[in-house]
Amino acid sequence: MDTEMITLEIDGQSVSVPAGTTIFEAAKTAGIDIPNLCYLKELGPYGACGVCVVEVENCPKMLRACSAKVAPGMVVHTKSEKALATRKLALELLMGDHDGDCQGPCKLNCPAHTDCQKYVKEIAEGRFADAVATVKETFPLPAAIGRVCPHPCEKACRRNLVEQPISIAQLKYFAADQVRKDGNEHPIKVAAPTGKKVGIIGGGPAGLTAAFKLAQWGHMVAVYDQMPEMGGMLRYGIPEYRLPKAILKAETDAIEALGVNFINNFKIGRDADFAKFRSWFDAVIVANGAWKSTAMRVKGEDLKGVWGGIDFLRAVVTGEKPDIGERVAIVGGGNTAMDACRTAVRVGAKEVFVVYRRTRKEMPAEDVEITEAEEEGVKFKFLYAPDEILGKDGKVCGMRLQVMELGEPDERGRRKPVPVPGKFEEIALDSVIAAIGQRNDPEGFADLPQTPKGTIAADEGNFSTTLPGVFACGDTVNKGAGIAIGAIAQANEAALAVNAYLRGGEYRPVKPILSERNLTEKDFEDRPRIARAVMPQRPAEERKHDFKEVNLGLSVEAAQAEAKRCLECGCHDFEDCKLIRYANLVQADTQRLRGDFHPGFTEQKLVTIERNQRKCVLCNLCVRVCAEQAKQGLLGLVGRGFKTVIKPEFQNPAATAVCKDCHLCADNCPTGALKIIG
Amino acid sequence: MKLVFGEGSCGIAAGARKVRAAVEKLNADGAVGVGITGCIGMCYLEPIVDVYDGGTLVKRLVKVDEAAAPALYEAAKTGDLAPLAKYEISADDREFLEKQTRIALRHCGLIDPEDIAAYEAVDGYKAIRKVLAMTPEDVIAEIKVSGLAGRGGAGFPTWFKWNAARNAKGEQKYLICNADEGDPGAFMDRAVIESDPHSLIEGMLIAAYAIGATKAFVYVRAEYPLAIVRLEKALAAAKKAGLLGENILGSGFSCDIRIKAGAGAFVCGEETALIESLEGNRGMPRLKPPFPAEKGYTQAPSNINNVETFANVAWIILNGGAAFAAMGTETSKGTKVFALTGKIKRGGLVEIPMGLTLRDVIFGIGGGIRDGGTFKAVQMGGPSGGCIPEHLLDTKIDYKALGATGAIMGSGGMVVMDSHTCMVNMARFFLDFTAKESCGKCVHCRIGTKRMHEILTRITEGKGKEGDVELLQELCNGIKAGALCGLGQTAPNPVLTTIRYFRDEYDAHIREARCPAHECAALKKYEIDPAKCKGCTMCAKKCPVGAITGTVKQPHVIDQSKCIKCGQCAATCKFGAIVVG
Repeated sequence: MDTEMITLEIDGQSVSVPAGTTIFEAAKTAGIDIPNLCYLKELGPYGACGVCVVEVENCPKMLRACSAKVAPGMVVHTKSEKALATRKLALELLMGDHDGDCQGPCKLNCPAHTDCQKYVKEIAEGRFADAVATVKETFPLPAAIGRVCPHPCEKACRRNLVEQPISIAQLKYFAADQVRKDGNEHPIKVAAPTGKKVGIIGGGPAGLTAAFKLAQWGHMVAVYDQMPEMGGMLRYGIPEYRLPKAILKAETDAIEALGVNFINNFKIGRDADFAKFRSWFDAVIVANGAWKSTAMRVKGEDLKGVWGGIDFLRAVVTGEKPDIGERVAIVGGGNTAMDACRTAVRVGAKEVFVVYRRTRKEMPAEDVEITEAEEEGVKFKFLYAPDEILGKDGKVCGMRLQVMELGEPDERGRRKPVPVPGKFEEIALDSVIAAIGQRNDPEGFADLPQTPKGTIAADEGNFSTTLPGVFACGDTVNKGAGIAIGAIAQANEAALAVNAYLRGGEYRPVKPILSERNLTEKDFEDRPRIARAVMPQRPAEERKHDFKEVNLGLSVEAAQAEAKRCLECGCHDFEDCKLIRYANLVQADTQRLRGDFHPGFTEQKLVTIERNQRKCVLCNLCVRVCAEQAKQGLLGLVGRGFKTVIKPEFQNPAATAVCKDCHLCADNCPTGALKIIG
Repeated sequence: MKLVFGEGSCGIAAGARKVRAAVEKLNADGAVGVGITGCIGMCYLEPIVDVYDGGTLVKRLVKVDEAAAPALYEAAKTGDLAPLAKYEISADDREFLEKQTRIALRHCGLIDPEDIAAYEAVDGYKAIRKVLAMTPEDVIAEIKVSGLAGRGGAGFPTWFKWNAARNAKGEQKYLICNADEGDPGAFMDRAVIESDPHSLIEGMLIAAYAIGATKAFVYVRAEYPLAIVRLEKALAAAKKAGLLGENILGSGFSCDIRIKAGAGAFVCGEETALIESLEGNRGMPRLKPPFPAEKGYTQAPSNINNVETFANVAWIILNGGAAFAAMGTETSKGTKVFALTGKIKRGGLVEIPMGLTLRDVIFGIGGGIRDGGTFKAVQMGGPSGGCIPEHLLDTKIDYKALGATGAIMGSGGMVVMDSHTCMVNMARFFLDFTAKESCGKCVHCRIGTKRMHEILTRITEGKGKEGDVELLQELCNGIKAGALCGLGQTAPNPVLTTIRYFRDEYDAHIREARCPAHECAALKKYEIDPAKCKGCTMCAKKCPVGAITGTVKQPHVIDQSKCIKCGQCAATCKFGAIVVG
């Protein structure tokens, strides 16, 4: 018997399907995918999620596409205002009741969104080459960045709520060192050549990252740098004892090995003007960094023996052996100040002071850096600001310091230092190193618009400039100098933008909608306390006399044990989660309808399946596949209303004995509520 | 003479059985006739005792207590009813009944519900005899003429459902009576089963015959134990009389009726959830279509009507559909039973012809607001319905007219509120109910009603935010559009109507942290008027948290930081010195 065919209209398309077909299936034949969370063709309609609602002309009620059957002449709108509003409300209600983390806080707090949780897990499992490959999905310098990054990831780490964060940065460079030692790094895949040429100015973390990405996508990339070696500030600003040049070299070599052309000792304005440079390439990225020290703007700054922080560090790296004498003061409280004072100790200064206008608590430098500097004999003078550099015969002989005190907190909550009127102090010095900041050098880039700060103005989203095909990122743009991983984050966006530009399109980053949990110490009360791995170091007395690396690196055992401390906050199912996909599709506001959460627990296990009811959306698919497909029926709904949860039938944990471990429930779960752990 | 005790659940709760036991103790000699009947519907006057003389009601006695037993016995024995004068129903209260037109409740409180002969004596089981001589099509046609619509709430034409079930393909068809009366404040179905179970059975038999069903269920909530007992007795008696089971009255038509006790989930009043529950599953609604007429109980064609609907059927058959249709309005025919509760002077069951106004019912029959209060609004249709304010009191009782106000006819719950009722708190109360009674299946209802309840709660606590009313309205409309079943689709009604008619009360809570009705505890402030306080110390003694201090014969004060706003002081003070702000 021939089935009668029915013709209807869906979103303006005419569709013919056999009688008895649902609107959902009919739309599918026309290539229209109606969002849904609780529908599975084999099980038939259920109607719980309300996400598949559609509007049908001359029908007063919204219809669920999963169940409503087609009728001749029906006019269906899957994206009408009312359908979208009802669908969006369902998703906002679900997101407001979804107590789960799409991504770990570590990844979210990393400016480049490096997948920390993933590589930490890989390290825990002893898959070090996989871990390095994971890092290299984001940037090419795991050994270098692992050593120098102030690791915002660790600040966000939930383990802080238990005892101490995972040692994410150290784990990263452990994996990179291990793989380099073992020589088993996964080869990087490079796409077929596109024939497009990209010129990158600046071989620091930003330029190298962009080059690495663009080369993988098949573009011909050349990196130009003013210095004799690649690495930028990583090489010329970070001292050897923190990041050995050989390790950095190995990582830059690997980039070169992808086919990226490195051209050193090349400076725009000196070796070519910018317009000419542009003409050589299809697209250009300016990532020339911030290589000028900020002046202190005090009297005596032009005396001999006054150094800029990064200038001093660079001079040491390039072997200039700067003569700083025996008594040295470093002005500033950041990481550059720490690098400068510890380098001063190593080049032979007898007494090294750090002059900082606030207290230790307010110092922007990493705490560990301050401690290590103290161990190496550096003296800290807190609540002092330089007032005048004193000179004799055109050479530094001391510094007059203004005594400061802390006043009202500023807009960032940091208490502002204010001078104590009339209180000064003088110290005798041979040299002064001003490590109070750094800025870019706009020379040679007059074609590019600048910000009032003098940095290059680039789009905050895709880092394009007003010149077509010219992109700019890193310390040289917008807000100026920041941390390396911040520059890397920008470089990744710029690389995507260049790639799109080269293919005739435009890249616009979209901030993804994510579910995030808001937790406190109380939520982790039951967790066992496990101490963070301690990094073995050379003793201060020994290390202060040379430039050999201070940290000795984690052992394999220590690294794996450390990695196993990870709480695995990010959802295992993020990539496949239908809920978050649709929430992004309709631009759901995840916070608007927040209130109490439905009861949640994770204890219940079905053989190899962990059930996290906090993420459950009660689509009931697990219950239904278990009953109808697995023929077990060991799951059921318990409770009423908002407190409804899915539990083994009759709330009997012994039901798990019946479970055949077929995984159908987990396979069909639209969110990450069910996780296969076996 | 015979004493007949009103022994519905309400009469029993008020002490009717104790009074009867006391009388029976005196009546060891059997000099006086003693009997029972069901509920007459005047809850506020229970216990009620009717005095019959040879089948004629000679006196109705109200608020009869155990102490009255000797007088009752003596009067019935001697025939001198004068000593019972103080118990006699007043003319005012008689109006409560006299102004009604009773069809569904026609035997309630008048016959012995546990005696099939009593039912047969008032033309009981005559209708089924008449029907068995008709074709099913003619029965349906008669119902169509009557204009009877589903009394459970939706108001769908009864004949249409019967016809659909009759025409549906299927060997086995089922008839289901929905006696899962869930609306808080509605109890007409319970009254019918407790007081006149045979009229339900007869109505069901007629329907079963009309649609061709041979198996029937009464899905009754387990919280109605007396109804279940009386129905069981009635079914047994009917079966014994050949009115139920195989080959009824030799007609060749067979039908059996079974009772299924529901566990008390509100959603099981929704017909598809009821069917799921009947099948032994968790009571959760199914998607419609298919409708039960096509695929109902065990996927077989099924027809579901509620108790009150069935209670009208035998009357319609005996008196003709036209007689029924002669009452009411253009769109709503016949009579409807309402459960009048709240701040009403005379509360109880009221059956009136459609077309009367709300004012007729509340003021004419109910006697207006009790304790000299002023009318504020009436909540129609329970948690699924809406409130109707004073200026719409002349609205006619009619499906369409009530619907236009934002309320619904519903199952007939009528909760009257006076000026002391906070409309925001009232909406919160109903949302609390629907949120808890949501089955949890669909997102819009499960999470949406919960969020609405959270917002309403914060408003009643004075923590509302500007924009909350708009957010509530957005949620209301979204839930109406997206919820799977009637429970969710109608749950926003109390909120929508209170916003529509009492928006100023929402604004007062949100903008001024003030409850105009002085009902919301968190916004109340108890203070002592020093001019009125005599320093009697009673309030201080009563205060459970020791918030009131003062010296004897000196004005006392309330420590606001300790006060939990329980109101004990105000209730205790004899001098009206406690000022509630």
